[in-house]
Amino acid sequence: MIPSDHFVKFYSEVFKYLQKRGQAAVDEYYSTIAEHQKTHCLKLFQEKGLTGMKEYWDHIIFEENCDADAILEDGKSYTFYMHGCPSLGKVLDNDAGVCDIYCMHCPGWVLPVMSAAGYYCVYDLVRKDIPRCILKAFKHLEDAQKYLEVVKKRHLNDPEMVVCNF
Amino acid sequence: MKPEEMRYCSTGEVHLDFHGSTYVGLKYLLDHFGMEAVDEVLTNTAEKVYKSIYERLQRGDSSELICHWRYYLEREKCDFTLTENPDGTAVLELRECPALRQLAKEKIDDRPLICHATEKMNSVWCEGSPFEIVVEHQEKGCRQTLRFK
Repeated sequence: MIPSDHFVKFYSEVFKYLQKRGQAAVDEYYSTIAEHQKTHCLKLFQEKGLTGMKEYWDHIIFEENCDADAILEDGKSYTFYMHGCPSLGKVLDNDAGVCDIYCMHCPGWVLPVMSAAGYYCVYDLVRKDIPRCILKAFKHLEDAQKYLEVVKKRHLNDPEMVVCNF
Repeated sequence: MKPEEMRYCSTGEVHLDFHGSTYVGLKYLLDHFGMEAVDEVLTNTAEKVYKSIYERLQRGDSSELICHWRYYLEREKCDFTLTENPDGTAVLELRECPALRQLAKEKIDDRPLICHATEKMNSVWCEGSPFEIVVEHQEKGCRQTLRFK
């Protein structure tokens, strides 16, 4: 039995396997988990919008002991600041080493759910080996585009650390 | 061995629902890529993630595996007895497996795949070592006998 404490270390090995099978295999997996996650939060995001996102991730922050902050700004955007991701943190403490696409599984399901809910989302993944990231969701495309340009400037040498759904 | 001497010694809250997540990962691999994929990922997990347990067993030292069993089964509030012998062999009586217990709560009934994961990891750990682990399935758990080949 793999202890529940060690699930993420196993999960990192699953991603290494999928990565070896090619990007299509990885994308298909993201699509599967996005469809599953829609059953948990799409209705909430559609009905309550940015407030629903805060409600969903506030629960995750509590349940998964995340060192994180979530901020709603003027009904225009929702920002989730992950200061210490427990998932990547546990994967980094791992003799097998972390899968270099590990962080991508988060935007892999979040972005399709955001699109389905009609919101524009930008992820700043910061770095693959630092358990920190920033998710920002916008109601209006123009606001999201402006923010995306700011984030891109932070990652001129590692553009893959910036992902969005528009 | 004391828990703090193990390579991994998790603390804090236990999230038993990750047993469901592990199952979903295994099932996805099985459905999309077959049992070879399941076994490849489990082999890498056993050899590389649990490198310390694996390498100790190869050297004839079962202390970290036995400590791992006791520590994580206690964390998951499992009903079990672990009898250790001075020569490094042991018998683990798992009266109720925490993974099966959790999956039953989630209405998942696929014991063969979950038990396969345990047996595959055990066989990877023991291959090339002086040990073998014999698993006997019981109603809600199993008996795992760690013995010399």
